[in-house]
Amino acid sequence: MSQSVAERVKKVVARQLRVPIERVTEEARFVEDLGAESIQSLELVMAFEEEFDIEMDEEEALQVKTVGGAIEYISRLLENK
Amino acid sequence: MKLLIYEDGKFDNFYPLTYLRASWELRCGAFSLRQRIEQLFPGVQVGLWARDLLVPVLRRRYPDRPVNDLDALKGDDVLLVNGRALLTGPVDVRDIGAVKSGEELVYALLPKEKAAECSGLEDLLALAESLPSEQKDVRVVQYLWDLVSENPNFIERDFDRFGPKVLGKLHPTAVVYGPEDRVYIGEGAEVHPYVVLDTRGGPVIVDRGVEVHPFTRIEGPSYIGPDCILLGAKIREGCSFGPVCRIGGEVEESIVQGYSNKYHDGFLGHAYVGEWVNLGALTTNSDLKNDYSTVQVYLKGQWVDTGELKVGAFIGDHTKTSIGTLLNTGTIIGIMCNIVGAGALPPKYVPPFSLFVNGKIMKGFGLKYLLEIARTAMGRRKMELSPEEEALLKAIYDATKGERAEAVKKFR
Repeated sequence: MSQSVAERVKKVVARQLRVPIERVTEEARFVEDLGAESIQSLELVMAFEEEFDIEMDEEEALQVKTVGGAIEYISRLLENK
Repeated sequence: MKLLIYEDGKFDNFYPLTYLRASWELRCGAFSLRQRIEQLFPGVQVGLWARDLLVPVLRRRYPDRPVNDLDALKGDDVLLVNGRALLTGPVDVRDIGAVKSGEELVYALLPKEKAAECSGLEDLLALAESLPSEQKDVRVVQYLWDLVSENPNFIERDFDRFGPKVLGKLHPTAVVYGPEDRVYIGEGAEVHPYVVLDTRGGPVIVDRGVEVHPFTRIEGPSYIGPDCILLGAKIREGCSFGPVCRIGGEVEESIVQGYSNKYHDGFLGHAYVGEWVNLGALTTNSDLKNDYSTVQVYLKGQWVDTGELKVGAFIGDHTKTSIGTLLNTGTIIGIMCNIVGAGALPPKYVPPFSLFVNGKIMKGFGLKYLLEIARTAMGRRKMELSPEEEALLKAIYDATKGERAEAVKKFR
C-alpha cells in the first residue's frame, strides 16, 4: 500500500532535519521543537517539492509552522494539482 | 534644438545592471552616460527615453526632464542621441542628418516638422534612418565590460572638468606620489594622514564629502564619488565609485554605481557593481582565467565570449554576499540575490532574486522579505524605496520566476 501524505511528510522532515521520526509529530513546530534553522526551512521546502513533485510559493510555504500545517498545505496543493 | 537621449533594445546586454535603470544611467569615468551627453549641449532642453517598464521610476528620478514624452520636445528640431554612445566633445551639430559608427546610430538631428509626427522611439529611429548619414569613429558600448575597459580613459578626460584643485582637506602627511597637478579634492572631502595618491598613471579625483581613511592608496586614473568613505583601501587604477559607497580591500579597474558597501578586505577586479550591494568580508572575484583565455559570460540564456582577458563579476542592485564569497571569472549575479558563498563557488550565472547557499540555488524567502531588507538598507542612508521602484521590482520578480525555477531544479 502506498504511504499516506502524512507519512511521507514526516519522513522528509526527519531526513532533512536529522531528527528521529518519533519526534516528528503533527503538533511539532519546525523551529522550536525540531530545531530548523532558516536555511533548513528552505531546504525542507525544496525537499517537499521534490518528494511530491509540486511547486510551493515561498512566502506561503514559510508561513507553515508545524508538521501538521505542512501536511495540510501539501495535501491542498496535491488536490489542486 | 532639443535633445532626446534614448535607450534602445540593447538594454538587456547590460543586465543585471539595467534591470532597475536605463542603459544611459550606467557610469563610465566620473559621470553617467546621460551626464556625459548632456554636458556636451549646455543650455539645451533634455528629454529622456527608455523602455516602458522603467518610465514611472524614471519620472520620479528625473522630475525636471520629460521621460517618454515627445510632446515636450515639439516645436524644435530634435537631436536624438544614442544613450550608449561614448561621445566626446565638442560636438558640432548643424545640419539635419545622422551620424553613425558602423551600423550604430550615434546621433541624428531630426527636423521639427517630421519629429512632431513621430509617436514613439521606433518612429524617431526610422526617421533618423531615412536621413543622409555620415560615419564617425565613436565608441557605442555593447556590454558592461566595454564600460569597464573604457573607464580609465574617460576618468583621464573627465579630470579636465574638475581640474587640479584642493578644496577639501589634504593632511600634511598624505602623499601625492607623482605629478601634484593631477589631484582634485572636492569641497568637504578629507584625506587623512598616511594616504597615498599615486598620480603617476593618471589623475585622482576625490569628489565632495569623501573621507579617505589612513593607509588608503589610490592609483590614478580613479574617481571617488561624493560622500564615499575609503577604509584603508588599495584602489588600483581605473576605478569609479558613484556616491555614498564604503570601500575597503583591493579594487582594480571596477565601477560601483553607488550606495554600495565593500567595507572589508577582498578583491574586486574588472567588475561592475550596482547600487545597495553589500559584499561581505573577503568577498573576492577572479578576473583572469588560469589558462589566460578570453572570459565567457552567461548572458540572456547563452554564453558570450567577451573577447577580453580580464573580466570580473557583474553584480545586480540590492545583492548581498556573505563573508568569504568567491566568484568565478565573469560571474553575473542578478538583482536582490543573497549569496552565501563560503565553501562553494556560485555558478557563473545567478538569476535575479535567488538565494545561493550550501552550494545550491534555492527558493528564497520571497519578495516581501527582500523588499523589507531593501527598505532597511536604504533607510540606513536616509533613502526610501519608492512605490514605483517597488512595483518595478515586483514586475521583474514575476518576469524572472521561470528562470529562477529552472536554476533551482538544476541544483536539486
